[in-house]
Amino acid sequence: MDGLIRQFRVAYAATNGEQLAETLNPDVQTHSAKLQAIWGRGDSRSMTSDLNFLFHQDQARLSIRLSKEETNGWYAIYTAYWKAVGEILAVEGLRGDAQSSWAKVYVAWKEVTLLTIRGYTNHDFENWTIPCLYVTGRYLRLYAMRADAERALSNDDMAVDDLQDDFDPQVEEHKSLEDCARHLNRIFQTCASDRAPLEESRKWGVYYAVNLLFKTYFKLNSEPLSKNILRVISAGRSDIPPIDKFPKSQQVTFKYYEGVLAFLEENYVEAEKHLEMAWLMCHKGAQRNLELILTYLIPCRLLTTHTLPSAQLLEPFPRLQKLFTPLARAIKKSDLQAFDIALRDGEDEFIKRRVYLTLERGRDIVLRNLLRKVFIAGGFEEAKDGAAPVRRTRIPITEFTAAVQMSSGETIDTDEVECLMANMIYKNLMKGYIAHERGTVVLSKSGAFPGTKV
Amino acid sequence: MSPPSDQQQQQKFDWPQSVRNYVQRTFQASNEISGVGREEKESRLKEIIRSEQEKGTMFTTNWDEMPLPQQLIQKERQQALMASVDPPTTQPKTPSSAVNSKKRKSSDFSESEQTNGSTVPWRSTKALSLEDRVSKPPNDKRQLMDGALTGKSKFQKYVEKRQRRGDGGYQSSYRSPSPPPPSGPIVGLNENLEKRYLRLTAAPKPEDVRPERVLQQTLDLLKRKWRKENNYNYICDQFKSLRQDLTVQHIRDEFTVSVYEIHARIALEKGDLGEYNQCQTQLRALYRAGIKGNPIEFKAYRILYFIHTANRTALNDAIADLTTAEKEERPVKHALNVRSALALGNYHKFFQLYLDVPNMGAYLMDMFIKRERLAALANMCKAFKPELKLRYVTEELAFESDAEAAQFIIDYDQELLQERDDHIVFLTGRAGQTFENARAQAFSRVDLKGQI
Repeated sequence: MDGLIRQFRVAYAATNGEQLAETLNPDVQTHSAKLQAIWGRGDSRSMTSDLNFLFHQDQARLSIRLSKEETNGWYAIYTAYWKAVGEILAVEGLRGDAQSSWAKVYVAWKEVTLLTIRGYTNHDFENWTIPCLYVTGRYLRLYAMRADAERALSNDDMAVDDLQDDFDPQVEEHKSLEDCARHLNRIFQTCASDRAPLEESRKWGVYYAVNLLFKTYFKLNSEPLSKNILRVISAGRSDIPPIDKFPKSQQVTFKYYEGVLAFLEENYVEAEKHLEMAWLMCHKGAQRNLELILTYLIPCRLLTTHTLPSAQLLEPFPRLQKLFTPLARAIKKSDLQAFDIALRDGEDEFIKRRVYLTLERGRDIVLRNLLRKVFIAGGFEEAKDGAAPVRRTRIPITEFTAAVQMSSGETIDTDEVECLMANMIYKNLMKGYIAHERGTVVLSKSGAFPGTKV
Repeated sequence: MSPPSDQQQQQKFDWPQSVRNYVQRTFQASNEISGVGREEKESRLKEIIRSEQEKGTMFTTNWDEMPLPQQLIQKERQQALMASVDPPTTQPKTPSSAVNSKKRKSSDFSESEQTNGSTVPWRSTKALSLEDRVSKPPNDKRQLMDGALTGKSKFQKYVEKRQRRGDGGYQSSYRSPSPPPPSGPIVGLNENLEKRYLRLTAAPKPEDVRPERVLQQTLDLLKRKWRKENNYNYICDQFKSLRQDLTVQHIRDEFTVSVYEIHARIALEKGDLGEYNQCQTQLRALYRAGIKGNPIEFKAYRILYFIHTANRTALNDAIADLTTAEKEERPVKHALNVRSALALGNYHKFFQLYLDVPNMGAYLMDMFIKRERLAALANMCKAFKPELKLRYVTEELAFESDAEAAQFIIDYDQELLQERDDHIVFLTGRAGQTFENARAQAFSRVDLKGQI
């Protein structure tokens, strides 16, 4: 405790928020010795008297100025922190025979989180200490997920709200995380609703909180809630500090989620914009994050500008290479069958990443490329009197039917081919019209396949 | 603001809760200030309360904001101390920060520009120290005089105090976030086969709840009645109470699955999508828990349902729920084909699939067949020129007859059909935006009731 509070004083004297937040770090992997020292012999009376001494009697030695209110706030937080540390050490098997569970850790850490929030609402905590709020929120989320996983393993009776007509499967699976989301939302509200002048404002915590919320809501599969947050932010944009004033890590995270949300709404132009920003800003060593960004950026590009990823781009990402290269190759070769196979082979992963429904639309591009080949193979009409030669624009449906059958490896009737061609025209991938009765397609003399120089 | 005198009379006996809290806070150990004795506090406390009582402001004073007696004593002492050193200063009303905050308001933008590259405050000791030089000195002076105040603007203190007031109910609600856990599921004692559905507002009593043994007979009775009377309102009501009894007793077994499956089928038949969706949500969880039933049938419905509600995320999840083996089963395969046909705009394939739907999937497909016909017509009108035989439309869009197809088109525009010698033609070239607009409207009106 002594060491902890000393660290607290140093950080406080330096008004260094991140150093201060370090004092609340409960990470067993990196701080095992420190946490054990804090827990000591686990005697709550000696912990209380330590804290009493350090916060109340020993104030003379404090080179820092702490108001009564603040002292009370921090005192309560460290008391709760101490208890949480005890549970954490126990559940990790670092406290002799003591037993605990992630559910208990979650409850204990929730107390730390709530008291920290209270620090801002009731105990005059200043905004430079906001990293503390972030640290508590971050670990609250981790412990909530562990508590949920733990409950899924043990066959405990499910938590049923007896007043419901049916049980709620979502609650059952993510009980702790749903609870956690509510508290993270409180953190968000605490930051976003602060009306102090900007440099004193907790609004500097907004994007930290938002990113935690996004992660949580995505885990809970609740995009609508994420959209709500975006709406709140854009409504208050004028007084929330701009995103580019936040650390890059937060910027990248935010842009990534903003992009994915647009992606899931099929707003690919918007999605591309955000994802590209995330991509450009992301630390080049953050392989995993870069891979995640590309997972959505590549399908975006495929649909917005019909751009395929280069081999060079994919090279550092073997997993993406495996997923996207066969698709890209099929599109280039206008090979319907290869495309269908590539899509089927990657289906589980694509579905998991929620890009399947988007990638599927790449089939239009394959088909467009195929029909374009037929058009080019048709050659030119005989030029009249030295005029520039014109491509043959009246093409029998049967030629297209043959091409589609060859490319897809399936038999297909003319009606379906006409339907597919109608789609191409409808989507502006091909210009012209179908003369059904005559069994021909009449393509535009100029730019029959827009954007492909033909 | 002086309250009527009869109220004053009352004050002697009935102190407001806020005063009691104030007294309590005064003697709370955590609010102890060293050097201020109990007697001093007590006498000061009496003084304060008496003065408020005399002023008649007992009920209007904001006791939550009132400094504690010990704080007042401490402050006075410090002021006395300062007075002997400095020329007398009245308790500063922090003019500096008041001015500052006004300035900040008008110059918010330029200031944030100034800190360009410095980002969040705790990241940058530089920016903060710059700020320090400007605004901290007066604060420091204040600190000397009053340790209880920190370097915050008055404005912020005020805002926070207001928030705190609004936060009144918070403490109690966060100490016990949930009611005491129930001691386990109840066991029903009710022997009646039929029971009206009532939404629960309190924990159910065992005598109102039927045990599984009785519920099984109930289900048989309901199945018979449904076949005989076909009264959906009655049946739905009975099924809801049946489901409720299962839930409150935490019964989750194959019987539970069959109840939800049967209710789901009946709801489908009657087009009650809200109720159907509730059932399918339960079924999904029950199948995932490994309880036996007809997962193939219902997973296929689930896909068709989310096609209807145009819920991409849920559709994605529904596909994620499928095993490789399930994808090869005919109903599921059919539903997946419907989905991909629509995704690729392949109306030809879509309408062929519509003509051959396993189980009760057609009830679901009927929900969106009209809008897909409009989409296909919009498509055709843009691609086919100058006309199409009506028969072609009838066949492609799976109408039962030319007459039905004709009626469908005429409902939107009477000028689009023309009689020829031996057939009728659909003048696609003249349709313009008619079907495009109708399509857009149909897709914007997806009925989402009962959607979770």
